[in-house]
Amino acid sequence: MVTGFMGLLQKKYGNTLGDEADEYIGFAVDGARRMQGLIDDLLTYSRVGSRDRNLETVNLGDVARSVGQNLHLLTEETGATIEQADLPTVTADRLQMGQLYQNLIGNAMKFHGEKPPRVELGAERGNGEWRLFVRDYGIGIAPEHRENVFVIFRRLHSREEYPGSGIGLAVCKRIVERHQGRIWVDSTVGGGCTFWFTLPDRTRSGGDE
Amino acid sequence: MSSGDSVQILLVEDNPGDVRLTQEAFRHGRLANDLVVCGDGDAAMKLLRARQAKNERQPGLVLLDLNLPGRGGLDVLAEIKADAALRLIPVVILTSSDAERDVLQSYERNANAYVTKPIDIDEFLAAIRSLGDFWLDVVQLPRS
Repeated sequence: MVTGFMGLLQKKYGNTLGDEADEYIGFAVDGARRMQGLIDDLLTYSRVGSRDRNLETVNLGDVARSVGQNLHLLTEETGATIEQADLPTVTADRLQMGQLYQNLIGNAMKFHGEKPPRVELGAERGNGEWRLFVRDYGIGIAPEHRENVFVIFRRLHSREEYPGSGIGLAVCKRIVERHQGRIWVDSTVGGGCTFWFTLPDRTRSGGDE
Repeated sequence: MSSGDSVQILLVEDNPGDVRLTQEAFRHGRLANDLVVCGDGDAAMKLLRARQAKNERQPGLVLLDLNLPGRGGLDVLAEIKADAALRLIPVVILTSSDAERDVLQSYERNANAYVTKPIDIDEFLAAIRSLGDFWLDVVQLPRS
């Protein structure tokens, strides 16, 4: 609503108020927009913690494919490719798995540097757990920031370079931990990132798609 | 410290809106100070280090936001206060956070003051101006 009235103010009185007033309106619109984004992201974060656990059999391959389809506009815009290897079927909250892949793939496509983003998804079977990864070949993360990227509100770049509220990876961490898993990142500056997360492997008999 | 010539204030702040508000506060205040702005902690440390290397005059006051991209304000504060050549520069934390933990951690790292940005614009302008008045005019600081 703030942006709406600010827009009206600019439209109806923009010419009469002067350049400085236009600038102020610009700051106000930008601030209101960012606040809206922040509230949306915080709601998502808080829902991960408060929603009842809704565990079901989830094919992560299907989840990741539908996330890829959701992101098709971004994919076309950036010329991104998503290569998806076989992903397992796990016992998890389907919506949260979607949110997790959405955030990780979204990040992989966002922090891509010069070249069009290239994202690889895969899984390895470990000792009673699945180790899943989302790999990109983007700008990477310096070693000293590898842990605090998961802290809520931490951002590594200015808003002009890479806008965002700094909540996405905190959401990922919360989702993974609610599923008794761990999340971490392997990365070097300029060498891309591989985000790893684990999920319990409850289906002893395989469960690949 | 007020020696007639203008003293620089270094503002470390990534939000362009907050930068602009602070600029406005000083523009309308009676202090005709230069405000130098760095958008993150790395840029701020680079500026301070470069001046140190060239033996140039350092800012008379640092206004430091806590929530900065990359390394946070607390890290920047700790680095300034750990350096014998920089630690005399007054560093005032200027943040939207009023969390007790942030206040405590800032003072533990030897912040000279901690100020929560007032939401109300008149209070904000008054707070910024009084900060400038106090640190550049009222207090006696060692001559560097």
